[in-house]
Amino acid sequence: MQTSNYTSTERRSGVNKNKFGRVYFGILGVVTLFFGIMDLVATLRGESITWGILEIPGDIFPGGWGGLIVLFAGLFYLAGIRNFFQIHQFSKVVMGSILVWIMAGCDIFAWITESIPGGEEGPWLNPWGNFLGTFAPPYTPAIFLLPFSLVVIYFIYQRRRT
Amino acid sequence: MKLNVDERWNLIEKISKKTVTFGKYQHTLKDAVGELTVKPLTGIPIAVAILYGFWSIFGSFAGTLCTDGFFVKIFDGHFLPFMQKVFTGLPKWLYYIFVGDPLADNCFEAFGVLTSGLFLAIGVVLPAIFIFYLMLALLEDIGYMPRLAVLIDTVLHKIGLHGYAIVPTILGLGCNVPAVTATRILETRKQRFIAMTIMAIFIPCGAQLGIMEEVIPDTIGLVLLYLITGYFIFGFILNKMLPGRSPEILIDVPPYQMPTRRNVVRKLRMRITSFFKVAIPFVLLGCALVNVLYLAGVIEWLGNVLAPVFIGWFGVPKETVGPLIAAFLRKDLAVAQLSAIEMTKYQMIMAVVLVSIYFPCVATFAMMLREGWRELLGALATLVVTVFLYGGLMHLIGIVLGVA
Repeated sequence: MQTSNYTSTERRSGVNKNKFGRVYFGILGVVTLFFGIMDLVATLRGESITWGILEIPGDIFPGGWGGLIVLFAGLFYLAGIRNFFQIHQFSKVVMGSILVWIMAGCDIFAWITESIPGGEEGPWLNPWGNFLGTFAPPYTPAIFLLPFSLVVIYFIYQRRRT
Repeated sequence: MKLNVDERWNLIEKISKKTVTFGKYQHTLKDAVGELTVKPLTGIPIAVAILYGFWSIFGSFAGTLCTDGFFVKIFDGHFLPFMQKVFTGLPKWLYYIFVGDPLADNCFEAFGVLTSGLFLAIGVVLPAIFIFYLMLALLEDIGYMPRLAVLIDTVLHKIGLHGYAIVPTILGLGCNVPAVTATRILETRKQRFIAMTIMAIFIPCGAQLGIMEEVIPDTIGLVLLYLITGYFIFGFILNKMLPGRSPEILIDVPPYQMPTRRNVVRKLRMRITSFFKVAIPFVLLGCALVNVLYLAGVIEWLGNVLAPVFIGWFGVPKETVGPLIAAFLRKDLAVAQLSAIEMTKYQMIMAVVLVSIYFPCVATFAMMLREGWRELLGALATLVVTVFLYGGLMHLIGIVLGVA
C-alpha cells in the first residue's frame, strides 16, 4: 500500500491535502524541463532564442551550462512528485527549487554587479535611470521560474507545522 | 575489581539501558537533502549547479563589478597618468622598470612595477581572491565540502587519491601555497606526491583565473578543459607508475548548518592575509625582474635560442619566453603579459595553458621544498615531461584540426 511509505507524522498531516502540490510541481517540472531543453537547443544552435520578454542565451556559459541545471531542476521536480509528502521525495522537489534559486540568484547578482558602475566613459556610479534600465527585460528562463519555485517554501512551512 | 567477559557485557547493558534512548529516528528535510547531495545520481547535478554558482558569482563580482567597473577606471584613468607625470624626470631605465612603457595608455600594457604590478595585485587579484575564499568558506561552513568529497571519492581513486583530495584541489584554485600544505590531510606519501604534483601543474590559482577572465574571457572554458583533462590523465599515469598505497577513507559527514559570521570572517581574514603576504612582494618583484631582463636583452636572447622549441614544438611565438620567465614569479603576471603579444586565438589558448602547466610559481615551489626535496625533484621531473608531452600533444591536436 502506498501509505506505508509515510511516517505517522506524515499520515497525520493528510496525504490528500498535498494533491495540489503534486499537480503544481508536476506542471512546474514539465515547464522547467522544457526550458532546460530549449536552453540546450539554443546552445547547440549557437544563437539566443527570444520570445517577447523571454531570452534563452545561446552561449555555453551561462546558456549551455545553465540550461543543463534548469533541465536537472525539472527532472528533480518530476522525480519528487510521486509520494510527494514522503520526506525523501519531497526533498527532491526542494532540491529542484534550490537549483532554480541558484540559477536565478546568479542572474540577479550579475544584473546588480552590472548596474552599479557607470561604464568606461561615464560617471563612477550609474545614474538612477541607467541603473534601473539594467533590470529591464528580456529575462532568462530561471527568472521566470523563480516566483513559481518559491511555492515550495509554503510546503516546507506546512510540513513543519504538522 | 576484575570482571569476566559476561559480567562486563552485563554492565554495558545496564549502563546503556540507563543512558541510551531507543526509538525510531525520523529523517528531517535537512537529512534528506543531505543524502541527495552525496548520491551520485542526484549529487552530480547539484555539484554542477554549485560550481555554476561559484563561477558565475566569481566572474560577476571580481570581473564585472570590481575590476572592470572600478579598478580599470581608477588605474588607467587616474593612477597611470599620475605615475607617468611623477616619474617623468627619472633616467629612462628606471622609468621603464617602475612605470613601464611610456606610450601605454592602460595598466595591462605598461608593465611597470608600480603600474601593472599594483594594478594586478590590487585591481585584479584582490577581488578575485576575496570572493573565491568567501564562497569557499561558506561552502565549508554549510557542510557541503565533505559531501563533495564523498561524491568525488570514486573518481579520485582512479588517480590514486581519495575524496578529501578535493579540499587541496579547490584551495589550489584560490592559491597553490596553502593547497600544498593541505595535501597533508592525505595519508600516504604517494597520495601527497600525486596531489601536490598535478595540482602545481594543472590547477590555475585564483589570481590567474582572475586575469584569464579579463584577458581571454571567450576561451577560458577551453583552457580550463585542457587543464582538467591533463589533471586526470597525468594523475592516472602517476598512480600507475608510482609505488605505494592509496588507502580508502571514512569521511564524517556533518549535518547541514547555517554558516556563522565569526567563522567565515576569521577564515577569510586568515587566508587573504597570508595570500597577500606572498602575492604582493612576488608580483612587484616579478615585474621588476622581467623588466630588468628585458632591458639587459636576456629575454630577446632566450627567445631566439628557444625559438625552434616554442614555434616548432608548442606552436607559440618566441615572444612568449618573457611571460614564461615571469610565470615563475607570478603566473597571473605572465598571463597579463601574454595579452600584449599578437597571437591567434589558438596560440593564445596554447600560451595560457603552457604558462599554467610550465612551472609552479616560486611561492608554491618554496612550499613544495618544505614538504621534502625528493618530492620537489620528483615533481619537477614530472613537470618537465608533462610540459613537453602535453604541450606537444595539444599542438598536434591543433595541427590535425587545422587551427594551429
